[in-house]
Amino acid sequence: MSTPEDLRYSNDHEWARLEGDLVRIGITDYAQDALGDVVYVQLPAVGSAVVARDSIAEVESTKSVSDIFAPLTGTVVAVNDVLTDSPDLVNTEPYGSGWLFEIQLTDAAEYDALMTAAQYDAFVAG
Amino acid sequence: MTELSPLDAVHRSLGAKMALFGGWDMPIAYPSGTIAEHLACRHDAAVFDVSHLGTVRVSGPGAFERLQTTLTNDLGKIAPGSAQYTHLLDEHDASVTDDIIVWWIDEQIFDVMPNATNTERVIAAIGGSKTTAERAILAVQGPRARARLDGVVPDAAAVGRFRVASVEWNGVPLTVAGTGYTGEDGVEIAVPAKAAPSLWAAIVDAGVTPAGLGARDTLRLEAGLPLHGHELGAGITPLQAGLGWVVSWTKGPFRGREALDAERQRGIKRRLRGISTEGRRPARDGCTVFASDATPIGIVTSGNYSPVLNHGIALAFVDPASALGDAVSIEVRGTALAGTIVKTPFVSKR
Repeated sequence: MSTPEDLRYSNDHEWARLEGDLVRIGITDYAQDALGDVVYVQLPAVGSAVVARDSIAEVESTKSVSDIFAPLTGTVVAVNDVLTDSPDLVNTEPYGSGWLFEIQLTDAAEYDALMTAAQYDAFVAG
Repeated sequence: MTELSPLDAVHRSLGAKMALFGGWDMPIAYPSGTIAEHLACRHDAAVFDVSHLGTVRVSGPGAFERLQTTLTNDLGKIAPGSAQYTHLLDEHDASVTDDIIVWWIDEQIFDVMPNATNTERVIAAIGGSKTTAERAILAVQGPRARARLDGVVPDAAAVGRFRVASVEWNGVPLTVAGTGYTGEDGVEIAVPAKAAPSLWAAIVDAGVTPAGLGARDTLRLEAGLPLHGHELGAGITPLQAGLGWVVSWTKGPFRGREALDAERQRGIKRRLRGISTEGRRPARDGCTVFASDATPIGIVTSGNYSPVLNHGIALAFVDPASALGDAVSIEVRGTALAGTIVKTPFVSKR
């Protein structure tokens, strides 16, 4: 299981990458492995205001459906439409082309409060 | 108590994702993933560990009579060396207590194969002894299953559809049945527990893809086959499930016959149908089905993404007045999914 050093992580197994005042969000390698083959991704509407810990997306695998929670508060400014036809990218490229959506942050400090890679690894190890 | 398959160490060495299924810790998927395993079975050949199925050996002079007067199907239609799909019903309401494959091994010897969690209930009804722990069962399924198996155990590869035979592999006695749960051709092989890992390895070396119970579930759904606990179980009769062919009305008494006959006379209140849905999003067990005029007409019992059709498919109990071709919608977590009532199997063997 890989955990890139340059990302931050949530308790709900999402990763966040800060790019200016935008944050790109996806699910971690651990999460995609636990879910199994992803067959459908329900993405939030662009422009929607989201509050940290809100359920704003769904990832369906052959096994089950899982809620995706907004790790941060802000506005959804982009979603990864490629997943509509290729949801398997969440499995194959969880930190790359399998990203889910981008949020414009309300409060940059929220990002810094997320876990570092080392903290997330410890969290997963339980 | 968690039960372990004789192939447990094999699955772990392959990196399988394990999960509890009917009290057994079984492989759900290998690192290749459920969809790749599913497609391997549809296009080539896959091997599944189904050791969690029960085996109950019923034998002796009264064995035939006991099964014939308890289970729904007519054993008189088959002979030793054949297998039959049948049901055990609840005496009072004709619910399907279990759906079962009977392997008629020899004149007075039957191996009855219930679902894992129903084994004790089946023994209570028909007697016999549980031999589950003595063997593993490998299901080798797919259009090339027999061709690939031919290089390992030619006698097993030659066992015809719904035939049962005792064969030998390197001195190991195998019982082979031309049965399965994928909608594909293939066989199921009972092998003594100790020899199971080496038989598994030989089959995999012959180019057969290991597949987990995740793929087995998506395959059986595409094939429109019922799963106990979803399409069969408490409150569900064979007639409601569209499995009237499993019931013989001409052979005489069987458990639950009176209650089932009463339902046959008054007509079923709901029937199992296939629903094809638009897009990749799957409906799931428990979702409500609505007619085009927004009247609720039923409940989904199984739903998933079909890797072959590339859209959602579901089985649902609906109002028996609904017909093939009817447009329906299914409420999936607050959104409406458009669908059509279709014939099953969703995917037919080519």
